[in-house]
Amino acid sequence: MARRPNLGAASYVLVVGLLAALALLILVGPVLVVLATSLTDSRAIRFPPQGLSLRWYELLLDTVRSRPIHRAAGNTLQVAALAAGLATLLGTAAAIGISTMRGRLGRLMDAFFLSPLVLPGLAFGLAALVYFTLLRLRPSLELLVIGHFIVITPFVLRTVGASMSQLDPALPEASRSLGAGPWRTFRRVTLPLIAPGIAAGGFLAFMASVDNVPVSLFLSSARTDMLPIRMWGMMESTLDVRVAAVSGLLILAAFLLMLVMERLTGLTRRIRG
Amino acid sequence: MIVAAEGETQINVAQQVEHLENTASSLRGHVLDVKGLTIAYGGFVALAGVDLQVQAGEVLALLGPSGCGKTSLLRAIAGFVRQRSGQVLIDGRPIDGLPPERRQVGIVFQNYALFPHMSVAGNIAFGLEARGARRREIAERVDGLLELVQLGGFADRRPAQLSGGQQQRVALARALAIEPRILLLDEPFAALDRALRLDMQIEIKRLQRRLGLTTILVTHDQDEAMSVADRIAVMRDGSIEQLGTPVEVYDRPANLFVAGFIGTTNALPCTVLGWSNGAAQLRMQDGGTLALPTEVPPPAAGHNAILAVRPEHLVLHDEPGEGRFLVTLGLALPLGGQTIREASLGDGTALRLIEQRHGAIPRRSSQAWCGIAVGATPTLFEASSRKDP
Repeated sequence: MARRPNLGAASYVLVVGLLAALALLILVGPVLVVLATSLTDSRAIRFPPQGLSLRWYELLLDTVRSRPIHRAAGNTLQVAALAAGLATLLGTAAAIGISTMRGRLGRLMDAFFLSPLVLPGLAFGLAALVYFTLLRLRPSLELLVIGHFIVITPFVLRTVGASMSQLDPALPEASRSLGAGPWRTFRRVTLPLIAPGIAAGGFLAFMASVDNVPVSLFLSSARTDMLPIRMWGMMESTLDVRVAAVSGLLILAAFLLMLVMERLTGLTRRIRG
Repeated sequence: MIVAAEGETQINVAQQVEHLENTASSLRGHVLDVKGLTIAYGGFVALAGVDLQVQAGEVLALLGPSGCGKTSLLRAIAGFVRQRSGQVLIDGRPIDGLPPERRQVGIVFQNYALFPHMSVAGNIAFGLEARGARRREIAERVDGLLELVQLGGFADRRPAQLSGGQQQRVALARALAIEPRILLLDEPFAALDRALRLDMQIEIKRLQRRLGLTTILVTHDQDEAMSVADRIAVMRDGSIEQLGTPVEVYDRPANLFVAGFIGTTNALPCTVLGWSNGAAQLRMQDGGTLALPTEVPPPAAGHNAILAVRPEHLVLHDEPGEGRFLVTLGLALPLGGQTIREASLGDGTALRLIEQRHGAIPRRSSQAWCGIAVGATPTLFEASSRKDP
C-alpha cells in the first residue's frame, strides 16, 4: 500500500528524466557531430570521421588559401560589433524611455520595438533591400550594420526592459532627495543597477548578428561577404570540410563567451526573466 | 590601544552630535506650511485642498487608512509629484518650483531604498558627494553618523548583509547626512518586527528631539502615531479629518471616523431626549435612560445619535441601576492586568470592554448591566454623521 505513491513518483522521475535526456540528445548531439566531423582526415564531410587530424583547421587558418573566409569573418565581426554597439546604446535608451511610460502607450511602444523579433527575417531582408535600392543606396557594410541593428535591438530592449522593471522606483527617488540631479542619479544609481542587463542584451545582440542569415542574404554582396553566407556557398558548391571547422570554432567561441557572460551577468537568468 | 581607540570614537561622536546640533540649531525654526494642496492623478483626487502647518522641531504624524492621501502629501513635500493647485512652503518660502534635489528634504523610505551596489559608507556619503563636499570632510561625517546610529564597524558592509533594523539606521543616517530642513518618514517601522519597532521608535524620537528636526511621519498604525508624534493629522479621502495632540484626538474625536480609527470605539445607538443642566438626556436601546454630562450641545431632541465610548469607559454591574443598560456577555480574554470582554446589546450591536482585574477573572452570569464610568467623557455624534471607517 505504502509503495504506491513511491512507484508513481519513480515513474514520474523516469519519464521526465527520459524526456530530458532525449532533449539533450537532440540539442547537443548535432554540436558534437559537427565537432567530430571537423576533425576528420578525409576530404569529405562524413560521420563518423575517418581518421583524426587538424588539417582542416590548418587549412582554415591559412591566410592565402582561406582568404575569402577570413574576409567574410572580418566583415561579420565588424558588422556585429558596430550593430551590437548601436543596438546596445539606442536599445538601452529606448528601454529606459519605455519604462517611464505608463499604460497603453508604453505597451504599444514595447510591442512596436519588439516587432522585428516577430517579423520573418526573410521578409524584412527583402523589404530592406527594396527600400535601400529605392533610395539608390548600393550594398555596403554600413547598410548591413543598419539591417542587423534593426533585427537585433529587441534583445537589448528585452533584457534592459526587464532590468528596469526590477529596479525599485524608490532608489532614484532616494538619490534625488539626497541632492543628486537627474544625470547624477542616472550615472550613480540607475546605470550601475541595470548594467548587467545591458551587458547581457549586448552579448545576445552580438551573437544574433554573427549568426544572422536572412538579412545578410539580401544586403550583402560579393564585396561585403558575410560568414554565414560564405559558409552556405561553400556547402553548396564543394562540401568543403572547412565549413565544419568554422562551425567548430564558432561553437567554441560562443561557449567561452557564454561562460564569461554567465560569470559577469548571470545571463541565463536574464534571458529567462 | 583599544582604550585609546574607543576614546577617539567617543570624541568623534561628540563632535558629530555637536556638528549636527549646531546645524540643527540653525535649522531649528524650519516651519513647514501646506496651503490648499490639491493633487489629482487623472480623475482621482488624492489630496483635496489640504491646509497644514508643522511647527519647528515638531513630529507630525499623518495617519489614515491606505488611499487617504497621506503618501501623496509626503511625495508632494519631497517634490516627487506635482500638485494641481496649492503651495508647500518651508520657512515661508514656496518650494514648489524646486526639483527634489534642491529641497533639502530628507526621506526614510518604507523599504529603506538603500543603494544595493554601494557599501553602508557609500550610501551615507552619497548625499555629501552630490553636494560636492571634500573627501576628508565626507569621511569624517560618515564615521560620525555611523557612530550616531550605532553602526560603527559596519561601514564596508553591503545593505543586503544587514538586518532590517540596521538597514533602517543606515537609511536614517543617509537622510541626516544632508542636514535636512524637513525629515520625512514613510511608514518607517512597518517592515520591522514588534520588539525592534519599539526600539527604533524610541531611537528615532530621541535623535529627532536632540537635533530639533521638523519631522513628518506617515503611518497607518495608530499606536505608532500616538507614541511618536507630537500631533496627529487623521486623514481620509484626501482631507484631514482632525488635527491635534494624541490625547486630544483620542479623548475628543471630531467625528465617528476618527473615533473608530484611533483606538477602539463602541458605537451605542441612542435617541436624544433633551439637554439640561449641562447633561444630555439619552434613551438607550433597551429603553433605559442615561444622563451624559456634556458642554457641547447634543443633536436636537428626538434625533437619533451614536454614543462613542472607549472600552475602558464602560463598567459592568451585576444589578440594574440609573444609566445602566442590559448587555449579553461573551468571551473574556485575560490580558495580564486587564481583561477584554466582549458583549452585545439587545439588537446584536457588539461591544468591547476593558476591565481592570484585581484577582481572578470575575465569573458573571451571561447577562449584566453596563454603565459609563465616572469621569469618562464619551462623545455624542448625530446618527447621520456615521460613516463607515
